[in-house]
Amino acid sequence: MGAKYHQSGSFLGSLMGHHKEAIVYSLAKLWQSNLSTWITLAAIAIALCLPASLHLLLQNLKSLTDDKREVPTISLFIKQDISEQRARDRGELLEELSQIDKVVLVPRDEALKDFRKITGFAETLETLDENPLPHVLVVTPHINLIGNPEEDMEKLAAKLNTYPEIDLVQMDIEWVRRLRSILRIAERAIFVISALLALTVLLVIGNTIRLNIENRKEEIKVSKLIGATAAYIRRPFLYTGVWYGLFGGVMSLVLVHLALLWFVGPVNELARLYGSTFVISGLSVATTFFILFASSLLGLVGAWIAVGSHLRSTKLEE
Amino acid sequence: MIEFNAVSKQYPTGQLALYNVNLKLNQGEMAFLTGHSGAGKSTLLKLIALLDEPSSGEVIVAGQNTKTIKQRKTPAFRRNIGMIFQDHHLLLDRSVFDNIALPLKIEGMRHQDIKRRVRAALDKVNLLSKEDQFPMMLSAGEKQRVGIARAVVNKPAIILADEPTGNLDPDLASDIMHTFKQFNEYGSTVLIASHDHELIKEMKKRIIVLRKVKTTNTKAGLKNGR
Ligand SMILES: Nc1ncnc2c1ncn2[C@@H]1O[C@H](COP(=O)(O)OP(=O)(O)OP(=O)(O)O)[C@@H](O)[C@H]1O
Ligand SMILES: [Mg+2]
Repeated sequence: MGAKYHQSGSFLGSLMGHHKEAIVYSLAKLWQSNLSTWITLAAIAIALCLPASLHLLLQNLKSLTDDKREVPTISLFIKQDISEQRARDRGELLEELSQIDKVVLVPRDEALKDFRKITGFAETLETLDENPLPHVLVVTPHINLIGNPEEDMEKLAAKLNTYPEIDLVQMDIEWVRRLRSILRIAERAIFVISALLALTVLLVIGNTIRLNIENRKEEIKVSKLIGATAAYIRRPFLYTGVWYGLFGGVMSLVLVHLALLWFVGPVNELARLYGSTFVISGLSVATTFFILFASSLLGLVGAWIAVGSHLRSTKLEE
Repeated sequence: MIEFNAVSKQYPTGQLALYNVNLKLNQGEMAFLTGHSGAGKSTLLKLIALLDEPSSGEVIVAGQNTKTIKQRKTPAFRRNIGMIFQDHHLLLDRSVFDNIALPLKIEGMRHQDIKRRVRAALDKVNLLSKEDQFPMMLSAGEKQRVGIARAVVNKPAIILADEPTGNLDPDLASDIMHTFKQFNEYGSTVLIASHDHELIKEMKKRIIVLRKVKTTNTKAGLKNGR
């Protein structure tokens, strides 16, 4: 019966038109909606808040432990008969290695001076006619928390030990171990909490869309009667799900940042008392986008589940 | 264009609505379908519009056996059939304009074209002044006319009407029938179920009479006549 078949422009054009229509229509419906929509959005926002703020906490803890004093270093004790110049040269060569961030030479004289100041054993030290301390190269390795830093550091230490100038390699690995295991646990906890709350968001949105569909049964039926495709009927509901997720996500970001503002004062005060330059950091742009993307995706999936099989077929059930 | 070969329809309730119906309607033909209440007129129209399936026999529409049309293709198929429902099936939360625009939106037509076509359809059924109203505010006859406008707005190849003049006064009923005739003259195949014998006779078109199926399952069916 093709003779009377009407098409307006290209297939792509009409598809874009359909999407535009579904977007406008679903937004308008959401806009007109009532208190229950806001309650749903608030529930989604609160559910999303928790993982976002835990992530923020973890990130701030990480940056706190990044404090200079706490970065693990490897101390290389140079053999007694090696000159300061040779030690310096070795240091410069080591600095070229990709696993190493920085090498600082502490000449034995300087070390002695510091030692006097710190220990208060000045008099005892005076009795020695020769400086017993070696030159020390303090190596800051380039640590990568994502990889396997313990092993990396051990490898590096073994390698450093092979240089002829070096007498002894000493490293502080305990610190990395502890940090790593703490972060590992924290990350898992956050993952579990996030997964559970994502499921909550999914259920909330799915249920909202399901009620939405119930309320618009007649409209769905009529649309089917006059030849709407399943995709056409489904689309506004899927967009509604995406809007719930997206707007819930935006609301949760606002909440997290409001809470953050509330924390800034006391945290800065605490940092000052500890003489730290630590500043609380907000969510990064990437994380912000990730949260919005993830929440929209959750909305889409929730809506997809709710739409169910009866909106996937064009069968009419009376 | 429309062909029924030994079609029977039994509803899941056990009610036999059609029994051994044979019928052939050529492309560009216009015909009336009459019969007592419960004779199966609405059922017959539904089978053509793919809104239901026959229990046995075959329904051939536009050269295609409706049984062989894939699920995925049914919406596009339905869109080429303009159906006016006995209980008009309008969306109560959308304006008259939006109700009529629905088939065009489904087809993905551009907004300006939709406006033009909807206005033209409203003009045909004398409802131009009501385009911004909602179905609740309309009289039964007006609702019916909105249903007609929606069915014809995308100029379908086949127009099926189930009691389209049921709630209309005689003058308006006659007007509407002539509108259908006009669509028929443009090339649409038109099948109208109606009780209005006076009006049908006046139209001088083929009349198909459906006899009610006897519960005893005796041979019932179809009588063709003028
Ligand atoms: N969905 C249904 N489920 C079960 N039985 C049905 C259904 N629809 C119709 N019937 C039965 O099928 C028979 C034919 O119904 P149909 O609606 O086709 O009659 P009709 O000729 O259109 O009648 P009317 O002139 O009153 O509209 C009736 O006996 C009716 O009770
Ligand atoms: Mg009927």
